[in-house]
Amino acid sequence: MIPLAAVVAFRPGLSSSNVRLWIPVPLFLVWLLALPVLVVALPIFYLACPARRVIPFRALWALLQLLCALRTTRVSIESREASILVHIF
Amino acid sequence: MSDHRKQILDMLAAGQINAEEADRLIGAIEDGPRPAAATGLAERPTAAPRYLRVIANVMDGDDQIKVNVRAPLQLLRAGVRLASLIPPQAQDQVNSALREHGVGFELSQIKPENLDELIDHLGDLTVDVDGENGNLKVRIFCE
Repeated sequence: MIPLAAVVAFRPGLSSSNVRLWIPVPLFLVWLLALPVLVVALPIFYLACPARRVIPFRALWALLQLLCALRTTRVSIESREASILVHIF
Repeated sequence: MSDHRKQILDMLAAGQINAEEADRLIGAIEDGPRPAAATGLAERPTAAPRYLRVIANVMDGDDQIKVNVRAPLQLLRAGVRLASLIPPQAQDQVNSALREHGVGFELSQIKPENLDELIDHLGDLTVDVDGENGNLKVRIFCE
């Protein structure tokens, strides 16, 4: 299953540790918005793949798996000035 | 007479195994399963690793930057599958670039079918990198 949501948490500084801005990112909306673009790009991708000796369906399947595997990824970066956390659900 | 012993003797009588093999099998039954301590193998956790963790501490002057990444190992699997789709010409370029940087590694050696074994072994792997001045510490492990 592709990730449907993500959270970006931003904290301006370690001193103000109580203030943290949580930004929910509805990824499913991103996929919905990207769908028309994907539909248009798919035939071009299908034609371009043989030129690069890549099997289009295998490539699409691998990309989809890569997207699905992004779930539960968490990246956090902290410094004195700010800290940011990205969590993909 | 135990069922296993009788089964072995039946196989011997039927000619399916020879006397030496029967002796070895009976010996194995009598010994029973060996405890982990006797075999010299430490007891390993049964849970397979699910995440690759990268923890980095960078000292930039007085400022300290902490990076904490938790990536699912499934991402590694998917990445290798994607890497297997790289055209041969591009793979050659990647391999030559790796060789130029002293990495004697062929990209084509990683295959999806070997990946599960690789990931199983990653559970025992911990990489610790310490910078010369102590301003960089990186720890990579699986959990």
